[in-house]
Amino acid sequence: MKVVVHVDPTRCRGHGICALMFAEALELDRWGYGRALDGEHEGRRSLVQARRAQRACPNGAISFSVVDEMQSAS
Amino acid sequence: MTSVLAPGELVAPGGPALAKIGDPNGLLLAGPEPAGGAESLASYLDRLGPTPPMTGGEIFAELRASGLQGRGGGGFPLWRKLETALASPGDPVLVVNCSESEPASRKDWTLCSYRPHAVLEGAAAIADVLGAREIVIHLHGGSDAPRAALRRALMERGSPVGDPVWRMSYGPGGYVSGEASAVARYLHEGVALPLFASAPLARRGPSGRPTVVSNAETAAHVASILHLGAERWRAAGSPSCPGPQLVTLCGAVAGPGTVVEVTGSATIGTILRCAGLQDPPLAVLMGGYAGTWIHGHLAWQTPMEPASLSALGATRGCGLIGVLPRGACGIAESALIVDYLAGESAGQCGPCVLGLPVLAGGMRALARGRGGRRALRHIRRTAVALPGSGACSHPDGVVRLVVSTLEVFQDDVARHRKGHACRSAHHRPLFPFDAPGGRS
Repeated sequence: MKVVVHVDPTRCRGHGICALMFAEALELDRWGYGRALDGEHEGRRSLVQARRAQRACPNGAISFSVVDEMQSAS
Repeated sequence: MTSVLAPGELVAPGGPALAKIGDPNGLLLAGPEPAGGAESLASYLDRLGPTPPMTGGEIFAELRASGLQGRGGGGFPLWRKLETALASPGDPVLVVNCSESEPASRKDWTLCSYRPHAVLEGAAAIADVLGAREIVIHLHGGSDAPRAALRRALMERGSPVGDPVWRMSYGPGGYVSGEASAVARYLHEGVALPLFASAPLARRGPSGRPTVVSNAETAAHVASILHLGAERWRAAGSPSCPGPQLVTLCGAVAGPGTVVEVTGSATIGTILRCAGLQDPPLAVLMGGYAGTWIHGHLAWQTPMEPASLSALGATRGCGLIGVLPRGACGIAESALIVDYLAGESAGQCGPCVLGLPVLAGGMRALARGRGGRRALRHIRRTAVALPGSGACSHPDGVVRLVVSTLEVFQDDVARHRKGHACRSAHHRPLFPFDAPGGRS
């Protein structure tokens, strides 16, 4: 199971909590806006962290998709 | 019926052919003189004959064989977009994007105003492939000539059996409002701003249905492909750009805004000669305002084809060629363009809102020869941070222009950094900043 995280830049207002919740997948840019790092993140732990980051965002800017054996769902 | 599409007539044996509106050696632009206004259906049918009877599947096969690339700027093969839409659930929507938000570009304006039936016939064919029941023709609110021409053409066309429902849509002007996802969003929720989406529009648009947004020129080429056959249409282009292409010339040329149809493989120099240039200019801005500068001498010998342009870090974009004359300052002109583009941000994404003014301010300071060193530092840092940060590629495009300005006009950068303002900084801007259709 792999997790891919997305930041909707039109919703992000730079609270920056997401990067605390899932530091392996999210960073803050020069202006403090969230930015998804390239790549997929493996394991259940990643799924938990992605869910936390998603819930923590006050603007609903974080979403993720789970790639499970060639099938994707969000 | 006289046909201009007889074999062998397309590409002159001596080399590439260039045609302006009304010239007989064009494919899209052939036909009556522009003074007569939009071409009538009778004249169009007389030139090309009726649409060959083909099923959606047959049309798709032809489009695939033709290799037609989207002409709105992205250059994505049309058949792939259609394939994605066909494989996705839901009733597909077809949008023909005639809004042409690139201020100096006139190709879609010219096509829609003078050859509306080619655009409509091509759109109907794409709708056949998709099985779409509705076709939306999208324009900027103020573009009067194409609007009137397309409306008249739709009335002339009537509703042949099997034709889908046609709808015309008038969106607001502005640089990013013509972007494909902004158009799709405007049609669905009335907001002409780019959309953040993790899936391509052709798979799932804002309405939840597969949404194919196709440029007006692309649609017109589809009509040519049907009449000519994929093979012959393809041969009218160059290896990396199948089929003919429309190019708009602007800046220091005779008749800025002139649209030229290029058949075969032509160098940029050959194209510029037909706009009155005898020698290579100082530099050429390729592909649009968010494009790439190329040294004049280099550009002069470079073929106007994706493969040759990408070797120089450029793309053909929307087919705009901007000419910077000798004696002008590339930094001053670029500063004006960056300023314009910064003001055209949709204002949705933080990095774009905060980063573009830094680029614009830096370029302005550099052009004026004030605080150049500091300005350059700010520009470089911002240019690294911006790409990929927005919902659309607007910030990426501005960075592309800024980076190529600093590269191509290196010597001027050095002079400006030392505090020399340039004389041309106070001249009238070379490039226009009002879209031909105006704003609404």
